[in-house]
Amino acid sequence: MKKLLTLTTIGALLAAPSFADTLRIGAATAQTGGLAPYDAPVMEGIHIAIDEINAAGGIGGTTKIELIEKDVRSDAAQTSIAVQELVDTGVSALILPCDADPSLAAIGIVSSAEIPAISTCASSPTLPMIGGDYMFANFPGDNVQATVSAAWAQEQGHDTAYIIYSPDSQYTTMPLYFAEVFEKMGGTVLGQDTHSIGQQDFSAIATRIAALPEQPDVIMTSSYEPDFPSMLKALRSAGVTSQMIGSDGIDSPTTFSLGEAGEGVVFTTAGYAEEGSPLEAFNAKYKETTGKDSETVFNAVGYDLIKVIEAAVLAADGSTDPKALRDAIANLENVQGATSAITYKGTDGMPVRQVSLIRVKDAGREFLGSPSPDAALIPAPRMQ
Amino acid sequence: MTTSPARHLLASLAGIIVLAITATLVASALGPASERILTVFFISLIAVVGMGVYSGNSGILSFGHLSFMGVGAYVSGLLTLPAQMKMATLPKLPDWLAAAETGFFSAILIAVVVTSVLALIVGLALNRLEGSAATIATLGLLIITHGVIIGWRDVTRGSQSFFGVPRETTLWAAAVFCILALIAARLYRDSVSGLRLRAGRENAIAAGAVGVNIRKERLISWVLSAAIMALSGALIAHFLGAFSPKKFYFADTFLLLAMLIVGGMSTVTGAITGAVTITLVTEILRRFEGGFNLAGLEMPAVFGTTQIGIGLIILFAMFRKPDGLAGLKELEERFFPGHRVDPAQTVTAGAVKPVDPTPLQGQNLTMRFGGLVAVRDVSITVNSGEILGLIGPNGSGKTTLLNMLSGVLAPSEGTVRRGDTDLTQAKPYEVANHGIARTFQNIRLFDTLTVYQNVLIAALSTKNGERAVERCETAIQAMGISQFAGSDANTLSYGDQRRVEIARALACEPRRVEIARALACEPSLLFLDEPAAGMNREETDDLMATLQKLTGDLGLGVLIVDHDLKLINQLCDRIMVLNEGAEIAQGAPEDIRKNPAVIEAYLGHS
Repeated sequence: MKKLLTLTTIGALLAAPSFADTLRIGAATAQTGGLAPYDAPVMEGIHIAIDEINAAGGIGGTTKIELIEKDVRSDAAQTSIAVQELVDTGVSALILPCDADPSLAAIGIVSSAEIPAISTCASSPTLPMIGGDYMFANFPGDNVQATVSAAWAQEQGHDTAYIIYSPDSQYTTMPLYFAEVFEKMGGTVLGQDTHSIGQQDFSAIATRIAALPEQPDVIMTSSYEPDFPSMLKALRSAGVTSQMIGSDGIDSPTTFSLGEAGEGVVFTTAGYAEEGSPLEAFNAKYKETTGKDSETVFNAVGYDLIKVIEAAVLAADGSTDPKALRDAIANLENVQGATSAITYKGTDGMPVRQVSLIRVKDAGREFLGSPSPDAALIPAPRMQ
Repeated sequence: MTTSPARHLLASLAGIIVLAITATLVASALGPASERILTVFFISLIAVVGMGVYSGNSGILSFGHLSFMGVGAYVSGLLTLPAQMKMATLPKLPDWLAAAETGFFSAILIAVVVTSVLALIVGLALNRLEGSAATIATLGLLIITHGVIIGWRDVTRGSQSFFGVPRETTLWAAAVFCILALIAARLYRDSVSGLRLRAGRENAIAAGAVGVNIRKERLISWVLSAAIMALSGALIAHFLGAFSPKKFYFADTFLLLAMLIVGGMSTVTGAITGAVTITLVTEILRRFEGGFNLAGLEMPAVFGTTQIGIGLIILFAMFRKPDGLAGLKELEERFFPGHRVDPAQTVTAGAVKPVDPTPLQGQNLTMRFGGLVAVRDVSITVNSGEILGLIGPNGSGKTTLLNMLSGVLAPSEGTVRRGDTDLTQAKPYEVANHGIARTFQNIRLFDTLTVYQNVLIAALSTKNGERAVERCETAIQAMGISQFAGSDANTLSYGDQRRVEIARALACEPRRVEIARALACEPSLLFLDEPAAGMNREETDDLMATLQKLTGDLGLGVLIVDHDLKLINQLCDRIMVLNEGAEIAQGAPEDIRKNPAVIEAYLGHS
């Protein structure tokens, strides 16, 4: 008995959290260029979370977070360079840009350095699929978002759809997932159009849709600014009145300032600040810290990312060893972030988290719900 | 063959190798971060000298060279990308390409070859353009290549990241390739082709007149520079492991051009200086981008500092050092003297060789510029061993006639023949190869080249470059300008105030260099357009003596245009007089002096 006690004591001592002094996190995000509208607000949320944790003495009261930031200018090559530099400084975890494309550029470095990397808001399920064990996302997957919006469209009695996508990035091909789910559920896709990112002029596409013998009930796209506002205005001025469905890329102040054209647009995103929700609390904190209202969910998404890392450090008993952190992240369950509960356990790195449906109403948000998608309908991730 | 003194080339090659190896050793000692900065620096430097090989030597700024870097990156990346990765990310790749998986070095080689072939095809088309039209066309090339890379999704993944390329570019690999690229660029600069191209950059018309086919030299440098760009692209691809078409577009074009322009386009020294300066500045600014603490003062993070910094450096360079920090000379050219020529005039084999006695005949030549008839139905014969003077009031068509005979202008009507050869539509460089050399009314020297090089180009570009050095030196000796052989042509007429006296003596020298350049072509016929302009009487007499000696000794035929009637009268065997584009008299000097039509043309009705 005494022996057992001794063993337990030793075991307990061994298992006792050995908290390191600092956790060094490297952030290579797009502070300039096309992805800046997403990564800039994400970084605000990240700073809020880090300040909050450090003010309370650090993770577990001991481990302060040190953040090293680099701008990757929304560019793949620059991401590769910045990530390599961050790895050189000995970071324990990496934060990668918002989109799958620049994040994919870091694959080689991330896997050979064996440091867990989390993309701020890439939603392409192919990112962790191709990225390997050390690559994680921090956003509801494109295929999940598309399933939620397709199911909503069907519920509303919309039977026909038209999709507009851009093959220029993984994210902007989300409408292909939408079309797949929509048809699986019995709907008809009347046609599709493609554009290039930054195209601006959508009059040809608008004219083509306006001239269709049968107007589609919904038009789905995952294009974001500056393309989405131009596309929407072109469609509306060509007389197309179909329900527009977008995705998280248009969860930005621009979408709510489009006036008449923007009204009624529905999109999926990572959360909604219901009364009493953690997101509402976060938004209050955001206002307190920055002095302005949070206008996009990406602030909270940044906060979530740090909460995930915090939870992983705690789960790894305070270790800041990159490998231990990776294993801890991969097994996290129900981490309470600002937007939703986040689970990585059982996924390949694409987290299970809430998808919210928002409708633009009176230049503000109307919450349509956070439905759980039918797992059987979610398309398999694919490069497209 | 190279055209600069061997000590220059040896000094520069040694310098390049020592510098690169020292930098590599220092960076290896400092750790991985420095190694990476130096690797990127080497790769950028390869690209900068690649751009310099074309833009620096030809004087045509190219915005399109990153196209070749992109092609090199994608071609080599497609070859080394592991087959599994290709299946996952490029499912629609053609089978033969999907199965191809080569090593790093063979991929580089193939990429360089493919890019060179592409550059040759593009170059054949682009080569037809001159000056700013050519520059704008290269901009088009950049945009088209970017569009093709984006559009060819099945092979390039479009504008998405091309990733998974094995990261095999080590510091030492980059260093060795950089040394090779620098040496290639340095040797090209002073190769025959490089020197001719630089002559064309300095003065296209004069280069044509001494036998340089500028388009051919431009094409050579274009393909060589594209090959160097492809090398740089393949290396960066295998350094980063991932890239997108953006990597080979405006932002990086701007960065690399900034290096080239800040350092100085026309030298390898300049490329190195520029690459070092811009890399240092960007590395420093990039560190400040994330915010910094200066003596307790917290600076906020400002992203984009780097671009602003580069912009400011370019502005500074344009204001203070428009030729770049390194100027127009290679470092070793500043330290070691240029060519020397023994001033003692030696009679060489070339000088006594009999010249081609066939006369040049212009038949019924007419030249119209729009409604203006500059030359009307003039026939002229230039014989060897004879000095023919061409005189007439201003605007009488003398220079136009000379231009038609030397191929600078194609006549509206009439023919130019030498024996059985029709030279009517011949290009100036072809005319030069038929033993007809000329000087210009407005001095056209290759300003930034030395006197020796000015003359050597002419010797190299005619008669297949046979005995070029000998011909060059003979011409320099014949003209008595040996003491200036190593000086830049454009320094001859300038002197600082302390040497006013010498400067005055030198003032006429550019014209002499020009005649020497014409002689180096070993011509049988020499056209001189106002050779004595700006010379004082003493110098003119001196020139006259030289010319008489040339015709006497060598049996050269000379066609001389001048306003100095004393010179013409004393020098010429025969004189032709033009007025308002038409011939009004021809004959021996004494007859011309008495000819009433000539007197009237010069003096008006009395």
